[in-house]
Amino acid sequence: MKKILMVMLSIVLALTTFVGCGQKETPAPADNGGAELSGVKAIIAEAQGMTLEELAKKAIEESNGKTFYGVGNSSRGKSALPLFIEYLQTIDPSYKMEFEWQQPKNNKIFDQLTADGLKETGTFAMTLIQDGNQIESKMVQTGVLDTFIPKEWAEANGTTPEAYEGYLPLQTLNKIFEYNCVNPDKTYDNCWDFVAEGEHGLFMDIDSEIVGKNFLYMLTKDEYAAYLKDAYDKLSAEEQAYFQPTVDALEKDAAELGLGENGKYALAWIKLWVNSYNAVTDDGPICNTLVDASAVDKFGLLVYSKVRSVEETDTVSVNNIKVAAYQPGYEGIGGYAYCHYLFVTDNSPLPWTACAFIAYMTETVDGFSAWGKDLGGYSSNPVVAKETEAKFHHSEGLSAKVACETTMDKGYDWWIGDGKLVVEDPKYCASVAFTVGSWIEMLDKYTPE
Amino acid sequence: MSKSMKIRLNSIKTYLSKPQNIILILTGILVTFTTIAPIFAIIRDTFQVHPGTIDQYLSGKASGYTFANYIDLFTSRLAKTNLWTPLINTVWLAIGACTFAILFGGIFAYLITRTNMAFKKYLSSIFIFPYIMPQWTLAVVWQNLFNSNAVTGTSNGLLASLFNITMPAWWCVGLFPCIIVLGMHYAPFAYILIGGIFKNMDANLEEAATILDTPRWKIFTRVTIPMVKPAILSTILLVAGSTIGSYPVPHYLGLTTLATKYVSMNDKYTGEASIIGIIMMLFGVAIMYLNQRSLHSRKSYTTVTGKSGHISKVDLGSGRYIIAVVFVIITFFTSIYPIISFAFETFLPNPGDYSFLYTGNTNNLTTKWWVTNENVTENGMYGQMGILHNKTIWNAFRGTILVSIVCCLTAGVIGTLIGYAVSKDRHGKLASYVNSMAFLPYLMPSVAVGAAYFILFSSGKVNLFNTYTALIIVGTVKYIPFASRSSLNSMLQLSNEIEESAIIQDVPWIKRMTRIIIPIQKSSIVSGFLLPFMTCLRELSLFMLLCVQGFILSTTLDYFDEMGLYAFSSGINLILIVTILISNYAVNKITGASLDEGIGG
Repeated sequence: MKKILMVMLSIVLALTTFVGCGQKETPAPADNGGAELSGVKAIIAEAQGMTLEELAKKAIEESNGKTFYGVGNSSRGKSALPLFIEYLQTIDPSYKMEFEWQQPKNNKIFDQLTADGLKETGTFAMTLIQDGNQIESKMVQTGVLDTFIPKEWAEANGTTPEAYEGYLPLQTLNKIFEYNCVNPDKTYDNCWDFVAEGEHGLFMDIDSEIVGKNFLYMLTKDEYAAYLKDAYDKLSAEEQAYFQPTVDALEKDAAELGLGENGKYALAWIKLWVNSYNAVTDDGPICNTLVDASAVDKFGLLVYSKVRSVEETDTVSVNNIKVAAYQPGYEGIGGYAYCHYLFVTDNSPLPWTACAFIAYMTETVDGFSAWGKDLGGYSSNPVVAKETEAKFHHSEGLSAKVACETTMDKGYDWWIGDGKLVVEDPKYCASVAFTVGSWIEMLDKYTPE
Repeated sequence: MSKSMKIRLNSIKTYLSKPQNIILILTGILVTFTTIAPIFAIIRDTFQVHPGTIDQYLSGKASGYTFANYIDLFTSRLAKTNLWTPLINTVWLAIGACTFAILFGGIFAYLITRTNMAFKKYLSSIFIFPYIMPQWTLAVVWQNLFNSNAVTGTSNGLLASLFNITMPAWWCVGLFPCIIVLGMHYAPFAYILIGGIFKNMDANLEEAATILDTPRWKIFTRVTIPMVKPAILSTILLVAGSTIGSYPVPHYLGLTTLATKYVSMNDKYTGEASIIGIIMMLFGVAIMYLNQRSLHSRKSYTTVTGKSGHISKVDLGSGRYIIAVVFVIITFFTSIYPIISFAFETFLPNPGDYSFLYTGNTNNLTTKWWVTNENVTENGMYGQMGILHNKTIWNAFRGTILVSIVCCLTAGVIGTLIGYAVSKDRHGKLASYVNSMAFLPYLMPSVAVGAAYFILFSSGKVNLFNTYTALIIVGTVKYIPFASRSSLNSMLQLSNEIEESAIIQDVPWIKRMTRIIIPIQKSSIVSGFLLPFMTCLRELSLFMLLCVQGFILSTTLDYFDEMGLYAFSSGINLILIVTILISNYAVNKITGASLDEGIGG
């Protein structure tokens, strides 16, 4: 079969290569160190030595009267830009800038940036983007995006722009297990309960939101597989008896995939999860479902911040849900965390303004406030994170809501530690995307019967 | 210059002296390029290495060409998941939707045109509403009606909330609801096409059979059905092509088809997704081939007995009201209920929160989705202004209007010219080629056409991603057939003598067109302009890969639906429906043309 295919395809390839038109070109690979920097990269190198105020002056020079285009996985960029403009106006009251912020869905941001990256001068000045795996392989290695590390951000993190390795995270977001608690008899005290017989968690489909797939990849990493093994050991003998055949059956697969000693537990959890989760288009509908009194015994894995958007009515309330990890005696992972990263496009039409905007968002409470006013999103700048908590009091719950433990955010440190969030590691994700990733794609997804 | 050369030059001169030949040459070049170029682009993409995707992993190359995509898609362990299952689902969906659309639309057309059923005018107008609305909005309405905690694992829909009725899973998600929703959406196609034949059909044939004492069922199966066979075939062609390329309905109702697979595979299996795009295109070519075969095998009929003196309609007796009421109820749920549902949704405090219906408490209603005029992130607004103040929505509305108007004008003009030129040289090879080539993009699934153009327009040389130019080009190419078919049909009805007498009078071609031909066939030609306009207004599958949300209304609507902000998507739906109804009404008043014109009496 393969040979026949090869022969047929050779002929077709020869024909299409010969007469092909409108080719989709691969962007030039990123510059390697050593070479003299030019264009946007040179500006970034210079900008990394500047304070926010110095960058702001450069931005005013560059973009006064112009239009700034940004693109991101978060819609909040649209809220942050007017604040940035206001900040620039404190330096130069005559400063004006129009802006447009786009938020593509369904992974389209990568197509959009790739297409824009082929232009001499792009449309987008910068991006706020998630999914470290694809960022590395499609955006950074191909030279579409450049990392800019703001000086004062680096200092707040005890480093320098030159010494810092990795991308610039704006924030870490958490997606956590929440469940409808209208039926008090129904509880989830172990992360294996979410994949028990008859359970169907609400979750954004892993094919439409790839950070969800990255979460599953990350579970196979030794430290998180160990979390699952520890939680498994806390199950009753009866519960273990249900899961054990699946765990045993996957021992061989785990070995073939080169996973560690607890890899079979990770694969078992992943298999049961993919076989059972009920795919939803976005976290918004998941939250809307869970807070409804009719969603008895349902649970979901969703962005924590969505509870903020619930409006209390006769049948809908945040009091109808609980955060699994907050419950006493809960064992195992509480959800997962991933980052929103900031980049300057390599053909940015307004590179100084992009750098200034990035510095503004990562170095000031106001700049981060578009995200900071929500629970479940934590600034990567420890100073900003502290000031944000002092300003918005997330640990005390949503003032506008009924006093409710669900809305009392225990903070980044708690979630990473006691909350046992599975944190996305772009490099690890990239390394297993076509091994564990292909294995996951073989699994049957759940459809209601 | 030799004699033969002179003769050849003269013959070329003579050939080019006819405007229809120049039109055929120019449009032939145009449709060849606009159809072939994207096909080559997508074929090429299947061999190209895409950084960060499976072909790079399998081939070990960062760039260049490879066969890895074909080998992996057809022979890997994932072949069943990524190719065969979606392919089979797509075929079943196309068959099911065609059958449903033909039965539903055909029976309705028969009742409207061949019987004395009551309320014809109302029913005829209301029946086409599902085609006016974006197809996936019916899918969302379906979910809002039938989802339940017990079966779909979501919060309860209206039926479960109010009456405690839970529908089985096969009813709520998967193939069945997709067939029903797409069938309902495309039933107006069947109604318009089959109804047109029923309306104009020679009643002599049926009456001759009656005189010969043929049983009624036999008349229906041996006379009526063969007469409408061409319309049924046309409906199959149009509905199958459209259904195969439909992304949003299967996406919302949980069915994996080639279109949904194309979208979901595009991030990690980019080249393999392009192969799926090609497979979808092959469906279009196959449909076109079947169309050609059916055209060649058409039969003609003649009566061998006495003639009737009048066109009679079947008397339904007291059933004329009973059947009408049944259709009033059905069309209420397919056409009126969605509009009420959209309007109601814009006043709910949380998406899908029907507290008001159980409690009667007006505190469980809100106007925030319409009137909020500040940037708030609380209470579900996510920083969006209310619909009345929402710049994103109104900018998208302007974008949609721009694309729709330009597409309708360009597709309308080009299509009309093609129709004219083809009608003048009906049996010529070039005319036949142009006619087929212009029609091909319509038979190709929308997602595949969008994907091919996305690849074509995403290069260093031609970079039109996220521009109105791209949408206008693609929309024009896709919708030329609306105008060309409409124009061709009307031109064929026009006697050549009319134009010939003007030629004898030495009237220039432009004047012949604008003063004679177009005014005579105004109604059909305007319909050819109207259809691209209306289809463009709510097109998603074709445009979704070429721009981001906020660019046009349908992508914005889809974005809000995906986010679960149903108040916004419902509001946009209302805006679209009102726009289409106003446009249809205005065009109807000005030119006398409308979508269901002439059928519903």
